[in-house]
Amino acid sequence: MPALRIELGGRVQGVGFRPFVYRLARRHGVSGWVRNGLGTVEILAAADPAILDRFTAALLAEAPPTARPGLLGVTPVAEAVEPGFSIRDSAATEGARPAFPPDLAPCPDCLRELADRSDRRAGYPFINCTQCGPRYSLIRRLPYDRANTAMAGFPLCPACRAEYADPLNRRFHAEPVACPDCGPYCRFEAAGAPSAAGEAALAAGLAALRRGLIVAVRGVGGYHLLCDAADQAAVAALRHRKSRPDKPFAVLFPDDARTLDSCVAADAAARAALRGPARPILLLPRRPGAPLAPAIAPGFGTIGAMLADSPLHHLLAEGFGAPLVATSANRSGEPMLTDPDAAAAALAGIADAFLHHDRPIERPVDDSVLRIIDGAPRILRAGRGLCPIERTLPFRLAEPVLALGGHMKSTIALGFADRVVISPHLGDLDDPAALAGLARMAADLQSLYGIAPRRLLVDAHPGYASTRWARAEARARGLDIVPVWHHHAHASALAGEMAPGAAPLLVLTWDGVGLGPDGTLWGGEALLGRPGAWRRVARFRPFRLQGGDAASRAPWRSAAALCWAAGIDPPAGLLPEQGAGIARAAWARDLNCHRTGAAGRLFDAAAALLGLCRVASFEGQGPALLESLADTADDITGPAPGLPLADAADGVIEADWSAALPALLDASVPAARRAAAFHATMAATALAIAETVRRRHGVAAIGLAGGVFQNRNLVERLAPALRAAGFATLFGEAIACNDAGLSFGQIIEYGGRA
Amino acid sequence: MIEDTHVSLAHGNGGRLMRALIEEVFARHLADPALDTGADAVPVALPAGEIVVTTDGFTVQPLSFPGGDIGALAVHGTVNDLAVAGARPLYLTLAALIEEGLEIARLERIVASLAGAARAAGVRVVAGDTKVLPRGQGGGIYLALTGIGVRPPGCGLGLGRIETGDAVLVSGPVGDHGIAVMLAREEFGLSGDVVSDAASVLPLTAAIAVLPGLRFMRDPTRGGLATVAHEIARGAGRAVELDEAAIPVRGTTRAVCDMLGYDPLYLASEGRVVAVAAPAAAAAILAAWRALPEGEGAAIIGAIGAAAPADAPVLLRTRIGGARTLPELESDPLPRIC
Ligand SMILES: [Fe+3]
Ligand SMILES: [Mg+2]
Ligand SMILES: [Zn+2]
Ligand SMILES: [Zn+2]
Repeated sequence: MPALRIELGGRVQGVGFRPFVYRLARRHGVSGWVRNGLGTVEILAAADPAILDRFTAALLAEAPPTARPGLLGVTPVAEAVEPGFSIRDSAATEGARPAFPPDLAPCPDCLRELADRSDRRAGYPFINCTQCGPRYSLIRRLPYDRANTAMAGFPLCPACRAEYADPLNRRFHAEPVACPDCGPYCRFEAAGAPSAAGEAALAAGLAALRRGLIVAVRGVGGYHLLCDAADQAAVAALRHRKSRPDKPFAVLFPDDARTLDSCVAADAAARAALRGPARPILLLPRRPGAPLAPAIAPGFGTIGAMLADSPLHHLLAEGFGAPLVATSANRSGEPMLTDPDAAAAALAGIADAFLHHDRPIERPVDDSVLRIIDGAPRILRAGRGLCPIERTLPFRLAEPVLALGGHMKSTIALGFADRVVISPHLGDLDDPAALAGLARMAADLQSLYGIAPRRLLVDAHPGYASTRWARAEARARGLDIVPVWHHHAHASALAGEMAPGAAPLLVLTWDGVGLGPDGTLWGGEALLGRPGAWRRVARFRPFRLQGGDAASRAPWRSAAALCWAAGIDPPAGLLPEQGAGIARAAWARDLNCHRTGAAGRLFDAAAALLGLCRVASFEGQGPALLESLADTADDITGPAPGLPLADAADGVIEADWSAALPALLDASVPAARRAAAFHATMAATALAIAETVRRRHGVAAIGLAGGVFQNRNLVERLAPALRAAGFATLFGEAIACNDAGLSFGQIIEYGGRA
Repeated sequence: MIEDTHVSLAHGNGGRLMRALIEEVFARHLADPALDTGADAVPVALPAGEIVVTTDGFTVQPLSFPGGDIGALAVHGTVNDLAVAGARPLYLTLAALIEEGLEIARLERIVASLAGAARAAGVRVVAGDTKVLPRGQGGGIYLALTGIGVRPPGCGLGLGRIETGDAVLVSGPVGDHGIAVMLAREEFGLSGDVVSDAASVLPLTAAIAVLPGLRFMRDPTRGGLATVAHEIARGAGRAVELDEAAIPVRGTTRAVCDMLGYDPLYLASEGRVVAVAAPAAAAAILAAWRALPEGEGAAIIGAIGAAAPADAPVLLRTRIGGARTLPELESDPLPRIC
């Protein structure tokens, strides 16, 4: 009988792939075996040639929903194969191509059992199967076997062992399989209250939430803080205790359409994104009159909504029966708190009670954040359920590289051969814990994939903590450092995801600031070319911005800078009462000033001029409030003239922001309409830049890159206008347009240079 | 006798005018029997002990500022370097590089201030040199000083003595000098709101040098407290953890920093001492400092951590309970927030 050796890669571990192969082989009457390699699945299959063909095709076509198999090789072998099909132990093969399964939300089968009072796992918060449950957050090393995970310390009870060993069972080799007999277990702790375990712990947690308390809950990738989302006092207390005055909180909804619909506008696409196995936070328009505490997202027209990502969260959300605030328990920019003792210490003054569990978290992973913009869900932050993101590169790397990304919203990426693996969100690297997390992640990726890069790709900004880390690492280990310009990486990230082909691409790279090749701070550029060969063809008129990093946190500085540069007196109340004179003098004397034409700073300025945000308590606050206000304007679709374009002395098209100032300052027009008009002006400017570049260079495709395009109002004006003007319009989905995409972009840019 | 009102190139040509300038301006104010203005070298007597030498250049702009001028600053800067090394400063040498056109009356004030600071610190200026630079090639005057001092043999101070758990202290508010000079230079009309802390730190170092458990002292001049923290971290091979709420910064200095986007932890002080000491000794040092007028604002501001990551060894526990790394100073710190 002819026999084939079939090797599959991609996401084939932790997703029930071997039992699927087993069942498929039995159904087709194929003999042989299946086993896990180091991230691969190997099959020996013997049958008639026609059956083998069908079997091989079905391996790909009928794979489990969360699997992403790819054929690595099919080789005929001359091997005597015993009749029957078996699942063999994992083989530790060399040079394999591992692919990590992400953490998956509970599947419908498990949710059914969870609710079934007769099931032995009824109400058990750690139920899972081959189609769901934690993966990435509990893997210690490959191959993906229970002994190599955080479940190693939970011996299987006889019932679970039988399910685990039965190839026809849904839990066959479900590595994190668990039940009330094996553990893990919950534990409730609160000052002045008796601690409780198991089901009583869950009940105590729910009771605390109902009393308006703040409860820290250990989830899949770290701790969340939960409280009643309708309880203004509880939400305000959470804000106060977390020192988080303004940044919106995410809301965990029970899985019922009425509650969700009463709070947010979620269409079919939004529901699909919410219910996806990644269970992200999805930014959705908030409904007027939503029964949510105003303090959840003051000034914002959106709510970050999520559904339960674990059985524990499911039980809490359903048991509470109403929306709950669910915010990461760490401070903004810091890595998730994962360890019970560390969480208890760090949250002592913040959480009233704790719902711990005893399943170790091997690596912190924050919630993913998505937003539907221009018709598709776009990743703004990749974390739990999505990571690690693995992609095929459009080229082959001669040597492996590690890309360190940016400074804020940090991610890193490991590139080798024709593959790239992107880390989850690591935080803001000013924070020592986030930087330590980056170092751990770098080591983790290298050891998990068995790859030792010789080259480190960094942002050209010498002061980024990632750049500094790489310099120290390179010195210590004799590695090469390759700097990449910030906006080249942004443009390349877009090109690398969207694969626009060989023709030159025009990418608008609009963000806050990043160091440009001319020593100024870019952020409002249009770059023409391809990865490895970008040329700046347009920018905003550069202006002098005073205050260093403080300028990014104080939109009034951008607003005042524009006014002064345009010879206009800043409006009353814009500048701080104390020190307005010194600020002006410092600006005039070029003291601690930098030159920039960053679009993000223009949005900052507009927000400050409209009185929305003079000083920001979190990154991007001004532009986000400006967008929310613009969304409330009565005519949000009205066309607007773009800013005037002119050729600067160096031949670069320059858009002059000063033309936008009179309209922003015209107090006779309602602020909402001015906010909308500003968005329309910026969109019209982008369109005019694209058309001017097309006339000169014949470009047909335009890409949107940089954090400014997280702005739905802007993109939903701009993208349709670009399409109407005949441009192929590219806007990423899987790679964040903000600085989280830089690490991937650095690898694409580097590969493009070769 | 000097007839001119301004320094000219002729005052630097080695002839009669130069001799007059040295005698009438420098020697008169410095008035030291050991200062033989005709000799190129002088012998000095040193008591027993370890000889400590330092050298420093001074180019501050403007030449005078609230709380001091370049003359006094030069003495304090040099003397302080000896003092924090645990030495008693004894002698200074002085090189003055004068720009053509400097008003002689102004030069006299600077030299008088220098002489006064030296007397107060108990040091003698024993050798000197003057040069005149063509107009446009100097900022009025540059001073270069060498200081010689003596410390007891086997002085137990050094970065190598620092251990995990040690306390970090500072003798008073930081950053005043940097802001005072900046405000004076930039003519914001705010000059005088902040007064430089420039002063001799000898009383501060003398008060604690005898205390057991003192490991290390440094004056947080150029690059400020953060830069000293980096020197400590590098030298000790350990993390330095500072507590933002504990670091003394004057209200006006902080307000000016906030307005201009500067971090006071990176601004120079010229009359402060940073000390590292065994935890048990910290309270005694604090008490000794606070008993002095120069040390009223002293505080324990942090601690030495365990082995440090090479790229980020200095961290600040922020007021709101977070933490951020304090990077090593860049020549031109660019904004980093995208
Ligand atoms: Fe950026
Ligand atoms: Mg010095
Ligand atoms: Zn399941
Ligand atoms: Zn069990």
